[in-house]
Amino acid sequence: MAREVISSGNELAALAAIDAGCKFFGGYPITPSSEVAHELSVLLPRVGGKFIQMEDEIGGICVALGASMSGVKSMTNTSGPGMSLKAEQIGLGFIAEVPLVITNVMRGGPSTGLPTRVQQGDINQSKSPTHGDYKSITFCAGNLSECYTEVVRAFNVAEELMTPVIVLLDETIGHMVGKAVLPDLEEVKANLVERAKPDPNVPKNEFLPYDVPEDKPAVIPPFFQGYHFHITGLHHGPTGFPTEDAVLCQNLIERLHRKINSRRKDLLDSYEEYLLDDAEYLVLCYGSVSLAAREAIDRLRAEGKKIGMFRPITLWPSPEEKIAELAQRFPADKILMPELNMGQYIDEVERIMKQRPVSLNKANGRPISPAEIIAKLKEMGI
Amino acid sequence: MALLKAPENTPVWVNENNCKACDLCVAYCPAGVLVMVPEPKTILGTMVKVVYPDSCIGCQDCELECPDFAIMVADRKEYKFSKLSEEAKERAEAIKKNHFMAREEDLAVLSA
Amino acid sequence: MAFNYDQYLRTDKMPTLWCWGCGDGIILKALIRAIDKLGWSMDDVCVVSGIGCSGRFSSYLDCNTVHTTHGRTVAYATGIKLANPDKHVIVVAGDGDGLAIGGNHTIHGCRRNIDINFILINNFIYGLTNSQVSPTTPKGMWAVTTQYGNVDPTFDACELAKGAGATFIARESVTDARKLEKMFIKGFEHRGFSFFDVFSNCHVNLGRKNKMGEAIQNQEWIDSITMPLKKWEKLSDEEKKAYFPTGILYHDDSQMEYCDAYDLVIEAAQNKKKVDIPIEVKSR
Repeated sequence: MAREVISSGNELAALAAIDAGCKFFGGYPITPSSEVAHELSVLLPRVGGKFIQMEDEIGGICVALGASMSGVKSMTNTSGPGMSLKAEQIGLGFIAEVPLVITNVMRGGPSTGLPTRVQQGDINQSKSPTHGDYKSITFCAGNLSECYTEVVRAFNVAEELMTPVIVLLDETIGHMVGKAVLPDLEEVKANLVERAKPDPNVPKNEFLPYDVPEDKPAVIPPFFQGYHFHITGLHHGPTGFPTEDAVLCQNLIERLHRKINSRRKDLLDSYEEYLLDDAEYLVLCYGSVSLAAREAIDRLRAEGKKIGMFRPITLWPSPEEKIAELAQRFPADKILMPELNMGQYIDEVERIMKQRPVSLNKANGRPISPAEIIAKLKEMGI
Repeated sequence: MALLKAPENTPVWVNENNCKACDLCVAYCPAGVLVMVPEPKTILGTMVKVVYPDSCIGCQDCELECPDFAIMVADRKEYKFSKLSEEAKERAEAIKKNHFMAREEDLAVLSA
Repeated sequence: MAFNYDQYLRTDKMPTLWCWGCGDGIILKALIRAIDKLGWSMDDVCVVSGIGCSGRFSSYLDCNTVHTTHGRTVAYATGIKLANPDKHVIVVAGDGDGLAIGGNHTIHGCRRNIDINFILINNFIYGLTNSQVSPTTPKGMWAVTTQYGNVDPTFDACELAKGAGATFIARESVTDARKLEKMFIKGFEHRGFSFFDVFSNCHVNLGRKNKMGEAIQNQEWIDSITMPLKKWEKLSDEEKKAYFPTGILYHDDSQMEYCDAYDLVIEAAQNKKKVDIPIEVKSR
């Protein structure tokens, strides 16, 4: 049975981790994300899991990656400055194929920025959170329920594709307290994804963790089970040991892309369409901005205006096909993209649509109000 | 203890595939058992040789100080090692003074 | 019969990538002999290394091994140990890795007293990146980044570990492999954070411009700056400055290990009470 709870976005993210089978959390306090850690410090030991507050942001992700590679579902949590500090380790997660859920509750940036206020400033960062070439996966929660469902999905995708997955919340949604409808717990548990295990017919001393087809993730069994494999942040071939072989290095990076690209349609693409059927105007937005957009659309609908919303939930890789479809239906001057930044995701939308929608930008720590969206749409002629 | 079968009647032996010719075993040997000889095929141009096995006292210093798993010493229970003689001590010093390289008399012993 | 190292090694990776005469190999060997004496199964051992020449250490041992990022060994190892408290976790890091970029994790690993065996391979220089000054490079020495002579004060890693709360602290050097092996055995048996400051030679990158360009010369220099603890204690305060004491410098079995302590948290959480620990303003 679906559950109804009164909670905050940050607390729901923590609850989701527990329900998804997370048994390890490492992190470091940072506003406005700390409540995720507060809650997990209470919930994890109750289920026999481990919570550790590390000495810094870097340690927070390292300890979680360490636990994860040894076989335990793990999570870390932070906000912008912490993401910057964790960057190098996220890269180790990508190349060594270590699943990890990273929640980033976005605040104003750059630098220390606006710690207690909202921004969607880390959209580009989550596409490219570290140096080198790789494919990153990012989900973005647009309401309280999704602070739960997207974290559960992130655990499942991380385990399925053996890679870190970023879930973006923001200060507004993380600190918002309200009613959330959560899916049935038994249903959540029945659909959990567990890490692939090695083929039992392969002798343990012949097992090669990275010896997988060109579009498949590595198979990393838990430590201490007799599989004596090596994990490294260096380029490696099928054996897992460092190599500079030109073919093996190229194959590795191509596979890191392919294992994600090949699952865009069936696993990763996720979005919400709201009142699009007869719409003539479109608001394209994501995250907490969609709450204001929905209110704006409802008010405009009450005036008889034909307007709807498209909201990507998986930001990276973007739901390309769907966005391209929208470009066929709506001319650029009838699409509004409100963002709490100076226009980050609009670049991706423009790349796909081959036309640039109208933008509404704010990066001063204040949310965009429904009235501001309505005013902009009226300017656009609705 | 993990055991490796020793070659018969041999106190100390070298795995030349692993040896990088760092001189450490020769430097640590108190009994002048080992010397370096010219060997153009190796990177540093030398290779260690066991020239005076009968002088080996089985102290294992060469094995323990070898960074490359290249020199092994037989088990004391299975091989009767010598006692450290004055002659061996002097030879060890002379080899060290000769920059760990074989002297003419050592080369003569080797080729005999 | 002789000791069979192959049982513990990834033999296809031999010979090692290290330079001729590198002390890292001597430490690797002593570590293997210690594991053998303790009778540990390699299925129960995880070796974690960082970046630098010491980073290659993990790839030679036949068990679960992790080659992490620069300086983060202790943090990764903490996750592995906390998730698998009954297994053996060994960290290998260099002086740059463990004291400079990773100093913070080293401090807090010591403080938590988590049962990790931390081997600091201290060769007084950045070797892999070619001779840059490290926190342990002696004052006055040449490094490629201190070409007029190093003016940075040096670090006594064991003093740091003690101040931070490690409960087993020992120092030996590669010049006495037997002592090294014994130190590892004692430290590995200790349940808590074991800190090993192992002086090692880098005659290539420290030695070549500091008049000890051969392995044995560099090792003789190490011998000249170390002294067994008992002998060192008898020196005057002024004389003590010239030597680093070796041996087991500190051993305290009375402190609770971190994984054991966290078990109390789990028990408290599951019984909805607080951990029964008196408030301590000064732990040690």
